[in-house]
Amino acid sequence: MATQAAPTMTMAASGPVVDWDALAARARGARRTKAVVLYSFLIAVSLPIILPYFWLVAIAFSAKTGVAETAVLWRSMAVVVPAVVGFWLAAALAQTRRQLWIGFAAVAMIAIFAFALLVGPDLHLGNFIFLWEPDFASVVRSRIGEVRGAVQFPNVWHAFGNSILIAGAQTAIVVTVASLAAYYLSRFQFPGRSSMLRSLLVLHAFPVLTLIVPMFLMLYWIGLLDTLFGVILVLVAFELPFAIFIMKGFFDAVPWDIEMSALTDGASRRQAFVSVVLPQVRNGILAVAVFTFIRGWEEYIFVFTFLIRNSNWTMSLYMYWVRDDVMGVDYGVVSAVGVFYLVPSLILYVAAQRYLMQMSVGGVKG
Amino acid sequence: MAKIEFRHVSKRFGAVEVIPDMDLVIEDGEFVALLGPSGCGKSTSLFMLAGIYLPSGGELLFDGHVVNEVEARDRNVGIVFQSYALYPHMSVRDNILFPLRFKKTPREEALARVKAAADLVRVAELLDRRPSELSGGQQQRVALARALVKKPQLLLLDEPLSNLDASLRLSMRTEIKALHEQLGVTTVLVTHDQIEATTMADRIICMRAGRIEQVGTPDDLYLRPLSLFVAGFIGSPPINFIAGKAEGGTLTVNRTRFPVEGASGAVTVGLRPEHLSFGETGFPGRIAQIEPMGREILYVVETGMGAVRVLEQGSSAGHAIGKQVKVDFRPENSLVFETERQKLVAGAHIRATA
Ligand SMILES: Nc1ncnc2c1ncn2[C@@H]1O[C@H](COP(=O)(O)OP(=O)(O)OP(=O)(O)O)[C@@H](O)[C@H]1O
Ligand SMILES: [Mg+2]
Repeated sequence: MATQAAPTMTMAASGPVVDWDALAARARGARRTKAVVLYSFLIAVSLPIILPYFWLVAIAFSAKTGVAETAVLWRSMAVVVPAVVGFWLAAALAQTRRQLWIGFAAVAMIAIFAFALLVGPDLHLGNFIFLWEPDFASVVRSRIGEVRGAVQFPNVWHAFGNSILIAGAQTAIVVTVASLAAYYLSRFQFPGRSSMLRSLLVLHAFPVLTLIVPMFLMLYWIGLLDTLFGVILVLVAFELPFAIFIMKGFFDAVPWDIEMSALTDGASRRQAFVSVVLPQVRNGILAVAVFTFIRGWEEYIFVFTFLIRNSNWTMSLYMYWVRDDVMGVDYGVVSAVGVFYLVPSLILYVAAQRYLMQMSVGGVKG
Repeated sequence: MAKIEFRHVSKRFGAVEVIPDMDLVIEDGEFVALLGPSGCGKSTSLFMLAGIYLPSGGELLFDGHVVNEVEARDRNVGIVFQSYALYPHMSVRDNILFPLRFKKTPREEALARVKAAADLVRVAELLDRRPSELSGGQQQRVALARALVKKPQLLLLDEPLSNLDASLRLSMRTEIKALHEQLGVTTVLVTHDQIEATTMADRIICMRAGRIEQVGTPDDLYLRPLSLFVAGFIGSPPINFIAGKAEGGTLTVNRTRFPVEGASGAVTVGLRPEHLSFGETGFPGRIAQIEPMGREILYVVETGMGAVRVLEQGSSAGHAIGKQVKVDFRPENSLVFETERQKLVAGAHIRATA
């Protein structure tokens, strides 16, 4: 650029022949090319991640028992891929914000119309039968004339409740304990502090599976095998170290001054912690809470090993058994359960996105 | 209002002794400044007064009562931190209200007091903002209002002006002083800026490496510094130090000789630039540098005993670089220190010429 700028400057000195508009247009063009390359790359990389989710949803809302056809999938792809390209072209070509919105609206309208036309007739909610029919396995099998051997599924809402209970209780315990422990580690000097910090990370490095047999035996001896509480305890134990470590980073970033100021303003140490320090680490708490909750919601290995009765099933176990039982018969129901299982995490992520982003910024330092 | 006493107070952090032995009395209603270079233990002393640090030894007294073990929240001390330490998640109103929350002050009265404190430091129109939406000077005032709203018996200011620009610093200096005159609360100002200390405080406590070097009025420290350190720390531009040897009424510096009274052995003479002037008599030198400072002009003069700073009023007309001059001073303005012990030799003087 610098070498090009030099001649134009000498021209400017000799006469009014500089075409500023052309220069600006060229810069705009270069910027746009860069954006196009970048977006193409991002789209290419994210396709393998996004496509399975898209298919999951498409199958859940369209597949029919006993029919293994993929026509709907391809038709929906035929709508979605051009739509993405259209959005992206609109973004690249729009000169003003107004044009951008108009372009987006146009592409969206065409896409919705095409979707309704091509895919719409095939959409139905029948695959979500498990939501209202606990014995759906038998129903699904009876459609293809084979009733014997269906697994006795508990009510899905029961499994849903169990999952909420495990994830929620685990989150509450982890957040409370991690906040208090991290505050102490951040603010107080005591013998063994640094070795404790180091061991926190080592603890997190253990592969979970290596500990599953001893955990099983321990739970058996304590008498918490096949109880939700036992699983919650195990999960808390595994999640705590990292949560403490993350929270310590957030507490370290809170200046001492405001805490001292609160103390001289008449607060007790506890009051200062609650009314001055905690609000500063609110984002950290939210981030840790969301991650812990989702971790508990996704939990599979521990619940699979430690929970036996089907009244203790969580959503992940429910998902597993549905897949095991009706997979060969009905993809649609399996996908529908998957979508149902996915929705809470998704909602949580979207709602807490703002705070999760700060976790990397809030900083983790020793 | 309270009278404050340090009796052999010491403070250690682990193996590091920050304050070895501090003895000090601050009278009720007094405005004192803790002055010293960075890291000399000013903030540490202040935090012991506030109850944030527990003294390692000795006794700290408020109005004759030992308060070593009294918790910070029971001391009724207002403190303005160097960083202001406003609570970022609260509005200015809630910040100022905060100290009253723990005193069970009725809501009506508390709000009235917040209003009064805000008016006092002129932040009344900022009450609904967040600290992050304030300028440095405004934050400083809010911190001051928060410290004052609880009607403290002791007000502690930890370098409150160090984050402000020069003109704001000047006006806040006047304002804080006026505030002290109006409220009469015992005030301790921590600063490493000697001008701040001399302009605001009734008395200055000059500290060095955890020890008190000298306590006195600004005039005491300026005119009668008891040690080389105080003489060098107070005054701007800094004092001239000239090391020499006194023997039989004659001070020899390099090859220059001055008549000296009341001192012998290795001594260091202190001469303030503003006490030096160009004259018909005096010791000879050559102007090496001219620095106009507004109303005054600072000359650096090369003499037989090294470079000497001379502060003169009026214009620099007639004083060009390279000009040969004679530097004169009044004997009573010269300070003589023992080089070894770094202490002032009382009553000793030198003369510019025989
Ligand atoms: N919590 C602490 N632990 C260990 N050493 C400390 C602690 N607080 C202060 N010190 C040390 O004590 C000495 C005095 O510190 P202090 O903060 O009182 O200095 P200061 O005079 O206020 O300096 P400044 O003008 O830079 O604020 C410093 O050398 C500092 O390193
Ligand atoms: Mg300090």
